Amino acid sequence: MPIDIARYHAWEGKLGATWHGVAAMVRTGLLQVFRRKSYWVVIVMGLFQFLAFWAVIWAVTQAKELPTDAREAMLEIFGFTGTPRPGKENGYTMFIERQAVVVMILLTFTGSLLVGSDFRNNALAFYLSRSIDRRHYILGKLLTIGVLVSLLTTLPALLLFLEYGMFTSSFDYWLANWRIPLGIVFYGMVLSVVLSILLVCISCYLQRMAPIAITWASLFVLLRPLRLLMRETSIYWGLIDPWRDMHFVGRLAFDQFRSDDERYFAYWAAALLTTVCSIALVLLVRRVRAVEIVE
Amino acid sequence: MPLVDLHQVCHSYGHVRALDGVTLRLEPGTIGLIGNNGAGKSTLLKIMLGLIRPESGEGSLLGFPLGRTGRRLRRELGYMPEASASVPMLKGVEYVALSGDLYGMPHRDALRRAHEVLGYVGLGELRYRRLEEYSTGNLQRLKLAAALVHDPQLLLLDEPTNGLDPAGRQAMLGLLEDLIAETRKSVILCTHLLGDVERLCQHIVVLDRGTVVRSGTMESLRSDVRNRYELGWEGASEPILGALRSAGVDVWRSTPGRAMIVVPDGWPTSELFRLALREGVVINHLKADEENLERLFLRITRPTGASH
Repeated sequence: MPIDIARYHAWEGKLGATWHGVAAMVRTGLLQVFRRKSYWVVIVMGLFQFLAFWAVIWAVTQAKELPTDAREAMLEIFGFTGTPRPGKENGYTMFIERQAVVVMILLTFTGSLLVGSDFRNNALAFYLSRSIDRRHYILGKLLTIGVLVSLLTTLPALLLFLEYGMFTSSFDYWLANWRIPLGIVFYGMVLSVVLSILLVCISCYLQRMAPIAITWASLFVLLRPLRLLMRETSIYWGLIDPWRDMHFVGRLAFDQFRSDDERYFAYWAAALLTTVCSIALVLLVRRVRAVEIVE
Repeated sequence: MPLVDLHQVCHSYGHVRALDGVTLRLEPGTIGLIGNNGAGKSTLLKIMLGLIRPESGEGSLLGFPLGRTGRRLRRELGYMPEASASVPMLKGVEYVALSGDLYGMPHRDALRRAHEVLGYVGLGELRYRRLEEYSTGNLQRLKLAAALVHDPQLLLLDEPTNGLDPAGRQAMLGLLEDLIAETRKSVILCTHLLGDVERLCQHIVVLDRGTVVRSGTMESLRSDVRNRYELGWEGASEPILGALRSAGVDVWRSTPGRAMIVVPDGWPTSELFRLALREGVVINHLKADEENLERLFLRITRPTGASH
């Protein structure tokens, strides 16, 4: 029935739980990101990498007359191992690590759009004067970034795992390597949690794209050469590279380390990331609490 | 049930007393909340929105006790913030639907209702435009639609005509008048533009330095000046002013040949002419003072100790 929009109509529905608001924030955040055409360049970069891995797995699994070892050896030419082996890096973690560049570039621009603009335009007055409160707002933003990271890392890695098993024409691969998807999810969660907390924290203080990009790039690009420069001084300098830390913590779920030193290093990395994220979370809450809803 | 019922509500920021024993009982209707900067309006709005808990005192808004039911209370309110509060890359209809979602509406209902209220506020044809393309006037209408989307009992409007040109302001006030008349919703209007309050509100609350200095209808606020007159004369001022004071008339402001006077209750104005005749001056101007809200506001928020 058409509605007469010239007149006001009452609404008689029931309001649901406050957590609906968090889901709406995530949906809106993704909409904001995917509506930016320039961001699609970065997303397509990530998609290309995924398609390349997909194609290689498909090609190798089609050579059925080859023994499994030979197929794995062929995959390794492309830096991928479908089956975990002692002393070797897991192929799925390698894929996720290669996606890191794409993730970093995408998040560089996303922080300003999703979080910085809320502070610049005082959109927090819009969000927080509704039924949600500050913790819902923070959770909504963290989840949005987390979902973005997962869409570029965890989801394609899981799809590659499914593909590998699917093209081997039996359930053996999936059954034998059931720990791999759990590891992928764990690694993806480490990335999502750490990156979302750091990005939202940086973005709410710096707000504009240029300072966020400089800080973000410094964290993830400049700290790597600094680690390489300083590694002769002490092995603990290796901890200042956040990508490497996340990589080591992610690998804890696969329990695939080349040496005991690496395993030891992974626990240190986990402790450091937990500390940094806790501090960032405290700063984030303080910044959001400081916003005046009523001017 | 009263709309607002506050008893001795106090709140401080450090050593600064923002609200100092505010006691207020307001029935449903259209209420104007006015006061100078620092009068405590924002703090009172925050308390009404359930964003802060008052330091002391108690009360309720729409029957919800203050401070303990912030989120539940906000479901019954529609708040239109003063700030632009826009979310980039969103279209008008998505913004209003997001507001509904944040209030807890099912998404389909929020989207359908967004279309309805945007049509109602006159943005039906602009609903698919991005927020960045909206003019200031249309952005104000959009914020009103976002406050109305869940059909709240009470609307809290913070400077709804701020930044609008005269035509935009008239259009916004017209829209609010229609909305109030049609929906009979209660509205609390917080603004510096006293003309807006005078046009829209039945009840006015004046805050000054954290206390309610006046609360009532415009008529009741004016009642304490019903015996006030503008008086003009030709001739020497001192004798007539002296005679008026001797007769118990309060002389508020005087310039040569002009004065604002307040006569005692039941005092006939013909007495003025008798005094003028006696003092040898000719009255050439006598007019009952019709005080507008701006003058009323300036009078009642005058700093203590200032001369008339």
